[in-house]
Amino acid sequence: MQNISADPLMQKIWDRTLHHALAMGRTLPEMRFFILDSMEFASLLEKKVYPTSPVNIWEGKNMVTKKHRIESGQESSIYYEVVQTGNPSYAYLNHTNSPMMQASVMAHVVGHCEFSELNVLQDSDYDRTEVIMHLVRKVNLGRYQMGDVNYMNFWNACESVSPLIAPNSQYNIDNTVDFDSRITKPKEKDEKAVKKDAALYSPYSATMTALLKTAEDKYSFEEEIRKKIRSETINRKGYKLKAPCQDILGFLRLFAPMSAGEKAIMDYQYESHKHQDFVIRTQIMNEGWAMYWEKKIMMELFKEKVVDGIIDYAKVFSGVCYPRPYFARNPYHLGYHMWLHIEELLREGKLTLAYQEEKDVEKKENWKGVGSADPIADMTHIVKSCSDYEFLRRYLTPELVHKFHLNRIPKQQASQLGITQEDIIAQDRHYVWIDPNPIKGQMLNFFTHLYRPRLYIIDSDFQDGGLLIYHRNDNRKLKKEWIKPTLKNINLIWKAPVSIITDDTLYQYSASNFKESKIRDSNFNEVLDSIKAGEKPFKNF
Amino acid sequence: MEIKISSDESEGAFNEFIEDKLEDLVEQIINDGALENIGNQGSDIIVEVEGITPPQFVYDNEGEGGEGGGGGAGPGSGGGKMKFNLPFQKFMDLVASRLRLPNLTKEGQGSIKELSYEFKTYAPVGVLLDKKRTFKRALKTSVATKTYDPENGNYNFMITRHDKRYKQPEIVEKPKYKAVVFYMGDISYSTYGERLELEKNMVNFIQNWLDYNYGPANVEHRFFVHDSSAYEVTKDDFYNINNEGGTQAAPAFELVSKIAVSEYDPGSTNFYSFYFGDGELFDKDPKEIMDIIENDMRPYFNRIGLVEVIPSNISNLIKNARSKYPNDTIVRLADIKNKTQTVEVIKKLFGGVYAKH
Repeated sequence: MQNISADPLMQKIWDRTLHHALAMGRTLPEMRFFILDSMEFASLLEKKVYPTSPVNIWEGKNMVTKKHRIESGQESSIYYEVVQTGNPSYAYLNHTNSPMMQASVMAHVVGHCEFSELNVLQDSDYDRTEVIMHLVRKVNLGRYQMGDVNYMNFWNACESVSPLIAPNSQYNIDNTVDFDSRITKPKEKDEKAVKKDAALYSPYSATMTALLKTAEDKYSFEEEIRKKIRSETINRKGYKLKAPCQDILGFLRLFAPMSAGEKAIMDYQYESHKHQDFVIRTQIMNEGWAMYWEKKIMMELFKEKVVDGIIDYAKVFSGVCYPRPYFARNPYHLGYHMWLHIEELLREGKLTLAYQEEKDVEKKENWKGVGSADPIADMTHIVKSCSDYEFLRRYLTPELVHKFHLNRIPKQQASQLGITQEDIIAQDRHYVWIDPNPIKGQMLNFFTHLYRPRLYIIDSDFQDGGLLIYHRNDNRKLKKEWIKPTLKNINLIWKAPVSIITDDTLYQYSASNFKESKIRDSNFNEVLDSIKAGEKPFKNF
Repeated sequence: MEIKISSDESEGAFNEFIEDKLEDLVEQIINDGALENIGNQGSDIIVEVEGITPPQFVYDNEGEGGEGGGGGAGPGSGGGKMKFNLPFQKFMDLVASRLRLPNLTKEGQGSIKELSYEFKTYAPVGVLLDKKRTFKRALKTSVATKTYDPENGNYNFMITRHDKRYKQPEIVEKPKYKAVVFYMGDISYSTYGERLELEKNMVNFIQNWLDYNYGPANVEHRFFVHDSSAYEVTKDDFYNINNEGGTQAAPAFELVSKIAVSEYDPGSTNFYSFYFGDGELFDKDPKEIMDIIENDMRPYFNRIGLVEVIPSNISNLIKNARSKYPNDTIVRLADIKNKTQTVEVIKKLFGGVYAKH
């Protein structure tokens, strides 16, 4: 591992890249570059792009496999770009790459870092890598306190829960859990409350009150009861679920009873995994944004001859930006072309109310509107206000789906997927094109489940202190033989019985007892409603 | 001496995990009596470890959705089976520690010694040059005498006679143990199917156990069968010979006791003998066997095991023996009815002597 300043050429390329990025008005955090060899690279990726990680078996196992794969040529050790965004950002260059490649990686990283700074999901934070390094030290200290066996067990238990992290879900901790130690913005008093306050000062008469008792007052009585339950629960446990909580790892981290060592492991797991959610939710915009700026900056670098090999760069660029079908979408390709398309729309003034409301088809086709004065600023505004879901919902059209070949499937694969002649709208020797209309909807669906089971904590006091997890039914089954070991692992963290409901089955794990029982069918909205009403969603079966 | 697993996995924590897995495997062998997993004598045990990814709530048909994540982060999804070679010695260590079998008492260290050489010291004269040490010394000398002085452009490197270091052999004496094991089997027509399987497993384990204790080179295994008379066979024949007709076991014991004294030196050899049969003996047979055991075998045998394999209600060998040797350190008695009892029987044959039986 080498700092970039150890290599004068790299330092020069970086200086110029940074110069152009700033000249183009980019908002950048501090960025630090390092040069790694291929095994260091592999190791870095296993450590989730942090320089250190605590002792654990998975990393060792993966490293061994990876090393073997790299050495036997099954896997390339050339990575396009590896960066840990935040302020400062840490980016890593592969020492085998040519100067042109290094320059393109730097330019690309510029895009990612800016995106992380600006995006609506507020991914960027201060000293991310440093915090992780601090947590690693705490975990190692915890390891000495816990002893190796306990440490390993707890670590592995956390690994089981680590994908169940959802800081950006609408059912994240902030939206679903009430707890007294949290600082929240005081709500503005609504009108009704003000009125009620006024009633306190009116003359008192029990008879009159009884006579004038309205439905509204009845409601307020229930409200009072609910408030009472809430404050009692918070007093007793420190928190109360007000909606199903999807951020299971986050919940356990805050509320599971843990020793200092266990807490350190949990903190490390959460902190090192939490940015994945941002990556998945913004991948298309993010990679597109990075490609967009990479190309702009690279053109400047070629112009002033800081690096050469423009033909090679074109090859690399088209190698990265190639179309793939929608279910295996290539975020580089899709994102890059979406941004180009949006820029074009802005320049032609097509992202305006006037264009949208124009009824005359002919006029619309030959639109001559006033283009945006500063399309880049407008695009930056989109970055600041959208994640992938909204980005695609607003700007992806069936025409674009067809233009970007998102509906193009290799012939061989098409027959495997069971695509019949009726679905095909065009074909050539290698590919078939299917109807682009439903594709947008299917791509948007991805953001509801991210190809993962949707699991929620719906009760933290299920049958005396047990944790109840609910699998939101989407007609797919959980891998059955893993339910027990996973529950066992969560049990190790929660230290009380843990149950999961999937379909019409309840699996319960407590003190090495595993029980499986049939229960009534339920749906998520029912569960949601009963939690909101302050009731237990599953009390008796 | 601790034996490390000879996989290419260098991560200590990872090896610990594998060792846990192996203990599970041994556990399974112990609980189900699945001794056939042990494999052939002395060969490495191949262990397949599956599912070395953390258990998580995932969909049943993994991978259908194509790739979701990306950006470099995310736990590896590569699972698959991994294979490990487990050295025989290591495996038997695990088995022994789980079974809590005491080590066998070995006799006959007397005058016979095993000689071997170890190279632990170094000297300026000798035959085997230690290149690393020699080079280090030569480098020091060259630097000190400035023949190697890169700053002034001298790159000469000399190895003088004084720099040379040779490995010195040291003779190590270890007591040599020798053991001979006699297996006796009843080959009447009733030995087939499950009975044969049980017998095979038992014999296999005993072979492994003694090989492990004495070292495979120092143990001789001999097989005897009997119908109305007794004769020696090879190991393969031991399982295959079929004969009908009356059963008389005493000749086998007699033959074994004679071979033991005539072919081996009782002073330096450890004798073991195991008898497997259905225990259906007639007339004076049991009494004769008891006499032979008492007079010709017990005095110089380390262990005599009598095992009734799936005994019937007329089996009387153990019944007879039990009245004579209710709780003996040398003569061990057991009966085995099914596979799950295998381990129990092994404990009876090789474990410490307990008050109950």
